[in-house]
Amino acid sequence: MIRKLLGFVIFSLAGAMVSFGPAIATPAKEVPWLPDTAAYRLTLFLGNLEPLPWDDVEAAWSEPYRNSEFSADALTWLGEKSDIETGPLLDAMARRDRQSLFAAATRLIALRIEEELGRALDVDDAASAQQAVRTARELYRAFADGVAAADPEASRRIGLAWLELNSSTGSAGVLGAGTTPPDRETMVTARAVISDYLAENYLVDDFALRQQLSPLPETALLSGRDIEVPPSLPPGSDIFDQDPLPLLVLNFEAQGIDETDLPLVAYGDMLFDSAQIFGSPARDLGIACSTCHNRSDVNQRLFIPGASHQPGAIDVDGAFFNPIFNDRRDDPLDIPSLRGLRFTGPYGRDGRFASLRDFTRNVIVNEFGGSEPTPFMLDALIAYMLEFDFLPNSMLTRDGRLTDAASEPARRGEAIFTRPFEGLGDRSCASCHVPDGNFLDRQAHNIGSASPPYEGARASAFDTPTLLGTAYTAPYFHDGSLPTLAAVVDWFDETKSLGLTDAERSDLTAYLEAVGSADEPYETFDAKNTSFRLAFSELTTFASTLDTLLPRRDAEHILLLTDTVAADLSADASTMSNLAGRPEVYALAERLAQVGSAVRAGDWETAEAHWTAFRDAADTIEERAF
Amino acid sequence: MSIRLSRRKTLILSAAGAVSLGTRLAAQQEGLRLAFIPQENPDKLLGDVAAITGWLADQIGVPVEGFVTIDHAAAVEALRNGDADISFMGALPFVLAEAEIGAVPLLSEVYRGAPSYTGRIFVRRDSGIEMLADLRGKDIAFADPISESGYLYPLAEFVEAGLVAGPGDADAFFGRIFFAGGYQQAMQAMAEGLVDAAGASQYADLLLTPQQQAEVIWIAESEPIPSHVVIARPELDADLRSRFVDAMMRLNEAGNRDLLRYLYGPDGYVRADPAAYDGVRDMARRHGLLG
Repeated sequence: MIRKLLGFVIFSLAGAMVSFGPAIATPAKEVPWLPDTAAYRLTLFLGNLEPLPWDDVEAAWSEPYRNSEFSADALTWLGEKSDIETGPLLDAMARRDRQSLFAAATRLIALRIEEELGRALDVDDAASAQQAVRTARELYRAFADGVAAADPEASRRIGLAWLELNSSTGSAGVLGAGTTPPDRETMVTARAVISDYLAENYLVDDFALRQQLSPLPETALLSGRDIEVPPSLPPGSDIFDQDPLPLLVLNFEAQGIDETDLPLVAYGDMLFDSAQIFGSPARDLGIACSTCHNRSDVNQRLFIPGASHQPGAIDVDGAFFNPIFNDRRDDPLDIPSLRGLRFTGPYGRDGRFASLRDFTRNVIVNEFGGSEPTPFMLDALIAYMLEFDFLPNSMLTRDGRLTDAASEPARRGEAIFTRPFEGLGDRSCASCHVPDGNFLDRQAHNIGSASPPYEGARASAFDTPTLLGTAYTAPYFHDGSLPTLAAVVDWFDETKSLGLTDAERSDLTAYLEAVGSADEPYETFDAKNTSFRLAFSELTTFASTLDTLLPRRDAEHILLLTDTVAADLSADASTMSNLAGRPEVYALAERLAQVGSAVRAGDWETAEAHWTAFRDAADTIEERAF
Repeated sequence: MSIRLSRRKTLILSAAGAVSLGTRLAAQQEGLRLAFIPQENPDKLLGDVAAITGWLADQIGVPVEGFVTIDHAAAVEALRNGDADISFMGALPFVLAEAEIGAVPLLSEVYRGAPSYTGRIFVRRDSGIEMLADLRGKDIAFADPISESGYLYPLAEFVEAGLVAGPGDADAFFGRIFFAGGYQQAMQAMAEGLVDAAGASQYADLLLTPQQQAEVIWIAESEPIPSHVVIARPELDADLRSRFVDAMMRLNEAGNRDLLRYLYGPDGYVRADPAAYDGVRDMARRHGLLG
């Protein structure tokens, strides 16, 4: 069985289900969902979006979910594994009737559980019975968080019933040895606990109207109690950091200045990694600024069904994050890099915000539903983000010309880049992507990369993006519609009638690749210099701002820090290579939480003492923190 | 002891040649046939089998065919009747296959630097349980009655501590014993408070959420358990066996390590030491699994 375990561990850290509870920025890898269960959870998630993306709902059942380990889609899977009728579900989708969809999908999953439980009791051999129980239990996962939220006692009763059922199913032994027969009486009793609950809550003929689609049991809904199911992302979501991890270049750091000597910057660095500054669901899901902007750059793998049309893109003014800010337009944007941020204003893809402060507030309050940030928080975030530098590139001079390190084709491409074209209004590529201005002109242009939203609209202009670092930020354009820099060259050649030969297109692409290149684009890790070591170093740096905040008795910002860093430190310990070092890190995290507890109690002396103890312990542990 | 195969298993085995790469074998010794045992999702394994057998065929210079069997018993039966030359297998089924058909261990999987791992007894940190004796009358979840690290070895720690008389006497010590169906299920049951303790692989806490991981500790650890093994039927041509082992050892090279993910994801392989399985043989005898 070691394989079964390590098969998961090998990919990263493994987790049992979506993380609930305190917001942390360490997502847990999920156990794979069965195709039909995944389709159900996707249906619940998508069914709450407004406007409801019916095509996505249909795809949830007719296409394998993203990154599924199963090649089959849910309907094909059901056709192969089940005798349950899918007609009511298909009919609800065809009629685009949300309540009927919920009812049909919920009954379908409940019937599937019943079907597998029945199989477990009907089959003769223990291996098949075990498999049926396993499948039934994986299907029950569709409802488990709803039951846990609504009725902890029932959740516990059912949890024990699954244990009883599995234990009483018998064992096939190994190679014929060690077989044990099933205990049918116990099986029947345990099954009844599960089946009775399903009958009352999920196999209902006429479900009460759902304002919000969720796995809450029917009886809980009818009780009228205000029950909140912790937010979760549906199967196919991916909020892990990209791999390889982009290299972060901070101006002060490159000059040899220690971040612990820049408390405002360090606090801003913490806020950039803190889900606490956002509202639910982002906060509960552990989504922070850095979730999309890994190390100031992009996250090419980020994907949330219904909010992303492709990896690396997200609609931040859709229905999911902050319904009041829902613009009811399906317009996900390719995540932009924040490198060189102080040179790239105005902000937003179309430059709608002249001020980085206004832009940042809009992200926190409107896009992600957070509380109004304090002036100190905005100051800190901006102080930090203004340190983001472009990646050093030895192929470029300071004024943006190619050095001798660049290839011949790139140098030929440089000449094309600066050549005026009739199709560009006698301008060149360099007219907008100004080489000595970090390859941008801080203006919005309508180059025809987006269709007008209505007839006569002049609303499709976008800010000129820098070309620096772009070799690592594919895809391109505001919507990520072009996969490569070569595709970008082709697009301009074709839509602007540049008349480039194949060789010229290739040279121009080589030039863009040279400009967009970097000497060191990614963080490098090894056996001891692990991603956890990086996290440990960051988190202890964040904590160092207590040296400034504790003497100021700034409880509000101390608590934001301790809540964020203690939870992250503890959660990140699960990613350690040095497994034996985890208990020390848990103890360290607890120490920081104690700083917060003392501050909450107004006991500043104790808070100071815990902070001193934390600092000493962190120094001691540092060597083993990998 | 004999291996009992149900008719169903045999049928599935005979129909299981779903993946083959290169030329279909004209004769047995012109190539290698590898039996794979599915874990979670046979669907995914089929793609993995195709990837690894293609690479092995290039390395060894003979056609290599892989197929997925339903379980260990089917794989051993395939080795016995010559339908398979090589199989991937757990330590316990290997020692039974060794006794039954003379199966030979070739390679051991390496995880975190060692071809072995341990089983542990986990409890919730706030449970107040500090030692095995504290679990008297309490409920425990194990993974499965034939799991080395998820039952046999952790239980042996209770025997070693003098709390349980022998493999058949555990009921007298514990309140309830559950077999949860896997490491993850056993650990979840413990973390959620359905039971007081879980017996599972030393790495099983990594299957919990990051928050849950911080909330559990382990209070006992078993002796090392040999990790999974690659075995051969005894009659396999010595030269072919040697070329296969050499090729597999090249998976440890930096340029080939990516391929390990197609093979259950170990960190690498070492040549198997038959003596390393003595402890498993003893354990199997104590539980009446081996004569």
